[in-house]
Amino acid sequence: MTARDRFHPDVQRYLDGEHVEGVAQRDIEEADRFATAMHTYGAGIGAPDARVDAAVMEAVRTRRPSHEGGSFWQWLVRPHQVRVRPALLAAASIALIALGGAAVSLLPRSVGPAGADAAPTVLVRFELRAPEASSVTLAGSFNAWSSDRIELQQNTATGVWSGTIQLRPGRHEYSFVIDGERWLPDPMAHAQVDDGFGQVNSVIVVGPRGVVRS
Amino acid sequence: MRDGCMSDAELVRRVLAGEVELYRVLVERYRAEFGRYATALLGGDVDEAADALQEAFIKAYDSLASCRQPDKFKAWVFRIVTNQCHNARRRRRLHVRLETIANPASETADEGLDRGEIKKAVGAALEALTEEQRIAFVMKHIEGRSYAEMADLLNVGQDALKMRVHRARDEMKRRLEGVV
Repeated sequence: MTARDRFHPDVQRYLDGEHVEGVAQRDIEEADRFATAMHTYGAGIGAPDARVDAAVMEAVRTRRPSHEGGSFWQWLVRPHQVRVRPALLAAASIALIALGGAAVSLLPRSVGPAGADAAPTVLVRFELRAPEASSVTLAGSFNAWSSDRIELQQNTATGVWSGTIQLRPGRHEYSFVIDGERWLPDPMAHAQVDDGFGQVNSVIVVGPRGVVRS
Repeated sequence: MRDGCMSDAELVRRVLAGEVELYRVLVERYRAEFGRYATALLGGDVDEAADALQEAFIKAYDSLASCRQPDKFKAWVFRIVTNQCHNARRRRRLHVRLETIANPASETADEGLDRGEIKKAVGAALEALTEEQRIAFVMKHIEGRSYAEMADLLNVGQDALKMRVHRARDEMKRRLEGVV
């Protein structure tokens, strides 16, 4: 590509909307013609109509967002981005334990999808070793990713933060939040998934009788 | 509060809480904006854009629980739409014959060029850009977005986006020599 094929850097800045001085009038006119042609092209671009809305709604009525539904089998056969966890992580360790029903739930009853009160739940204990943290909370698809709802309690002797919550059977995504700002996926989770923003969520699958995969 | 006045974050939370019909508000809110974007990325094919958009909104619904920043639902879906368009482009064989303007030297300024011909030439030139360049160029010049908005939607730095747009402009200029 020769210099003649390119826009001068000042013309590029002009097309970026910046104020520039000393650009030849001929170059300005050429840039304006270029921008006008693109605008003309854009003005002729159509957009899908409301039939898309109807088709989408027809499809979603037959399914549920992932946190509520899905058998383990459905989860298993769906493509996932799975990362192998490091063999040793000095900073943190996690254990997820399904309990028989004696633990205290930290999850507010109002949190969660409709019908939660009627659905059977399993008590699940989350642990994270983070001795340097001032606070650790748990956020996930089960509480609309609210980072300040589920506070874990620290064992000062071990540096382990823990808490137990009620979860309905199904697949859930979650993450720890350190000191209210740093999101940390569970280093011991069996699967991690991309959240679409380049960050990672951990996955837990809960069956009617306990944790299926953690 | 009327449904249409609710924030994206509130709508996402309520859909996840079981109010599935509210998802329509989100689809209606972004259908036209993202639809034009998808159409531009897919060479002006509205039907193909409708398919990509529909698949994107359904995928977004399926993964809604993964959207841990519901206030950024728009950017999240935008990237899903972008990926769907990318997949659509990979699936199909391009119908646009790039060679119609592949040799700019043979093109001459023609006062008789009408809007239809300009549209055809611009569309073909867009097809010749790289994926990243096309996305950035469409957002900047076809949709008229600011670099700040582009950075927010794509989660890419403004300097990198400027670089993509500048390179795309140079390529478009070369391919449209004598046309615009």
